[in-house]
Amino acid sequence: MKKIRLRFAVWVVLSGMFVFPQQERFRRSPPPPEPLQELKLPRIERAVLTDQLTVSIVTRENAPFSSLQLIIFAGESLSPNVPAGTATFIASLLGRGTLVRSVSDVEEFLDSIGGAFSVSVGQDHVLLTFHFMEEYLDPALGFLSQVLLQPNFTRAEIDYAKFTTTYNLLAKEKDPDFVARRHLSRMLFQNHPYEKIAFSSDAIKAWNPTSLADFFDRFYRPNNARIIFTGSLSLNVATRKISQYLNLWQPRDLPPIALPPLKVPEKERVCLVDVPQSRECMAYVGTVFPTPGNSERFDLAVLNQVLGGTPTSRLFMNLRESKAFANFAYSEAEFYRAGGVFLVRAKVRPEAIAPALQEIRKEIRTLTKEPASSLEIEQAKSYLIFNFPLQIERYDEFSRRMAENQARNDGEEFWSRYYEQVMLVNADRVFATAQKLLGQPLILVIAGDKSVLSERLTDVETYDVFDAKGQFQYTVTKDKKGAAHEAR
Amino acid sequence: MFNHDQIRTRVGISLGLVLVFAAPLLLGQFGPNFPLTYARLKNGLVVILSEDPTLPVVSVAVAYNVGSVHEPFGKAGLATIMENLMFRGSANVAPFQHFNFINRVGGELSASTSEDRTIFYQTVPSNQLAMVLWLESDRMRFLEINEGAFDRARLALLDDLLQKKSEPYYDSQLSFDQLIYSDFAHSHPVLGTEENVRNLTVEDARNFYAGYYAPNNAVLCITGNFNKLSVRELVVRYFETIPRGKDVSQSFEPLVYTRQPVIKTFQDVLASAPAFHMGFRIAPPFSNDFYTLSIVDYILFRGRSSRLNRRLLGRDNKIAYEASGGIERRKDRAIYRIFCVVNNMAMAERCQEAIFAELDRLKRTVLSGPDLVRTKTMFKRDYLERLSSSMERALFLCESFLTLRNFDDVPLELDKYMKVTANDIVGILNRYFTADNSIILNVKTK
Repeated sequence: MKKIRLRFAVWVVLSGMFVFPQQERFRRSPPPPEPLQELKLPRIERAVLTDQLTVSIVTRENAPFSSLQLIIFAGESLSPNVPAGTATFIASLLGRGTLVRSVSDVEEFLDSIGGAFSVSVGQDHVLLTFHFMEEYLDPALGFLSQVLLQPNFTRAEIDYAKFTTTYNLLAKEKDPDFVARRHLSRMLFQNHPYEKIAFSSDAIKAWNPTSLADFFDRFYRPNNARIIFTGSLSLNVATRKISQYLNLWQPRDLPPIALPPLKVPEKERVCLVDVPQSRECMAYVGTVFPTPGNSERFDLAVLNQVLGGTPTSRLFMNLRESKAFANFAYSEAEFYRAGGVFLVRAKVRPEAIAPALQEIRKEIRTLTKEPASSLEIEQAKSYLIFNFPLQIERYDEFSRRMAENQARNDGEEFWSRYYEQVMLVNADRVFATAQKLLGQPLILVIAGDKSVLSERLTDVETYDVFDAKGQFQYTVTKDKKGAAHEAR
Repeated sequence: MFNHDQIRTRVGISLGLVLVFAAPLLLGQFGPNFPLTYARLKNGLVVILSEDPTLPVVSVAVAYNVGSVHEPFGKAGLATIMENLMFRGSANVAPFQHFNFINRVGGELSASTSEDRTIFYQTVPSNQLAMVLWLESDRMRFLEINEGAFDRARLALLDDLLQKKSEPYYDSQLSFDQLIYSDFAHSHPVLGTEENVRNLTVEDARNFYAGYYAPNNAVLCITGNFNKLSVRELVVRYFETIPRGKDVSQSFEPLVYTRQPVIKTFQDVLASAPAFHMGFRIAPPFSNDFYTLSIVDYILFRGRSSRLNRRLLGRDNKIAYEASGGIERRKDRAIYRIFCVVNNMAMAERCQEAIFAELDRLKRTVLSGPDLVRTKTMFKRDYLERLSSSMERALFLCESFLTLRNFDDVPLELDKYMKVTANDIVGILNRYFTADNSIILNVKTK
């Protein structure tokens, strides 16, 4: 018996050597981390110019690129009801040419300064992003001045913008992700000014020069704007240069803006949006919440991290890694002036849509019934803390993040006390946030080929069907025997 | 000036038992000033260090000098399967735990396989550098390739292939590759072919790993915030005892072809609109002509104001739905490749005529000073963009080591592009961008 044991022991040792020859002891487990280094965030300096334009500067020595972000506090929610989409309309024209530079001149100019100019439209603000090689600061500011003071809103440009926006929108209406997201916005923001961001191609037909000029004239003003500049430049030099190039930009009294708070959906609703012949299927699940305080923002961030912030969060691990129902499943929170949206976004295999929805619901419900373990909360916090410097490493990411903070009026504290605020979050706070937020009625939107998906939605009692433009078609209701009935 | 082998000799002499890094290089006039040191361990692993203390972040890239060009005949897809297997567990790291280790500390990671290299890279908080080196060394030394892991990796690749095969123009692209690259090594797709992938065995993967995933066929690059002294100890600790592998041949049969135009037709059942692929065989990567060719690429297709963008996609005279072009490198070969989607075959012909007309115009008229400056500014911007984060810099340095004839030239590289003259451009256009050096594959719809 002893011999057998000895042989066995020798065999174990030898086979171990054969599989992992000469393995040193230190290889067997991960090394402990070094002490965490302090994150020294660059200082934000601020000045208000005589025209009431606020300028924030972040100096980054020896940076080959400069980055200028101009926030105009006039997003889609301030567009008139008719025509909706005016903020987007203006954005599509800005930077495409000015009264003194043709479109092709602008293209050549931007290439000549190593520049990139883009405009994005949000609910509450428009963000003009302008990156360029740092040696071209003067021409870049000259160009910005032309964009703001001499925009090209001629009939030819307007017609071209309408044509290209319509064309792009029609192309996007074949994409289940776009269609589902837009529909979720319509459902969550019903009768709220935020609903306007989900405008359809019909709204574009109503775009006209008068509404455009009126919107631009009212809101594109220095006292309704903020510049965030990142580059190797001091505050003094930056303010002097900006004053010099934008000295003709005049402030104007702004109309008072009153946005009602977002309304929580009264009951759960399932919507199926038809994207004919689409091979893909997107599922969105969302709800709204009132404007959170600073600490609540961090509770929400940790909750999001636990549920679906990354590929190691619950949704991804369950829907993709464990059940293989989805290519991906994430969650995210968005913050606006009048509140916020929390949503789950999953690219689901069409044949697995029913169990995938069940699993998404289950994951959401679980967080409202059982607090996440302390370990999970600490892991989520670790991720948020340690990942933060990675998010601001690139100059353009850094300036984008800065601009978002400034646009939301997050304040210095949000930026400078980020680590501290995350550290203060605990399992109880996350649980309370989950109960408050995820215990509300949810809106579920599925976008894909209706002919494939409707056969799979066997366990959904009632759902509304819409076409790709978002027009209501009919309601499907299942009777006790499971037979589906359509009602228009 | 010395080549790769000489680096080994030069640095190796000074190594003895302790790793000694070469003196810091400072990038030159056009580059950002970042420190750069490199050395080769006794087992042949090249180690590149570039410090940047701005943020508490560090990136680690391990690039293996292997890609689809190294796959034996009939084994297409092996390099991609190996990339997948590298995440399926090693002696001390369970399958997919590499992801979890990185993700839990807020890090980010990825990997890529191309025709000529396979790179694994991650960025983590700087206090986690040791963990990343532990992870990377474990899979370099002790990767577990068993039947189960291999089958799952193969299934994943077959899934990817299925997805790829459902994309319009993919088959035509492969057909064009066969036309322009004459040998198996360069012409077969990185993802492989379904037939080849199905026939691969776990033994193929083990042999491939043993042959190419060795320290003497790899570059380890660490960029970002690290302690200069401890990083050297860590590198030695985790990598120096990994045994050297067999020396790998990196040379391929020289390309022999006759200069005569080739025009063929391909029917793509998935294409919704006609299209064409056009290619010109050009000088090999980082030969003397390659610098001018890179600037020519910017003149032709980079930026909104580039010549062919305007000629084919201009707002008032648009003749193609889509048009793109650029230099494609596959190890020791390069081509200039253009792809256009058009309304009908007559428009395809018109586009091709427009391309040749624009090339002729460029050959006849020396590029103006402002045009050349603008082109170089765009090039410089994109070049410097590649150094914008620690991860991008790590990838850039790995790439530079594997492709440049002389890594010591890194600080001088940007300068070489900036010195290209308008006359150089005319010469290059006349040498390579000619009808008799062109290969065209017209793609018809069903």
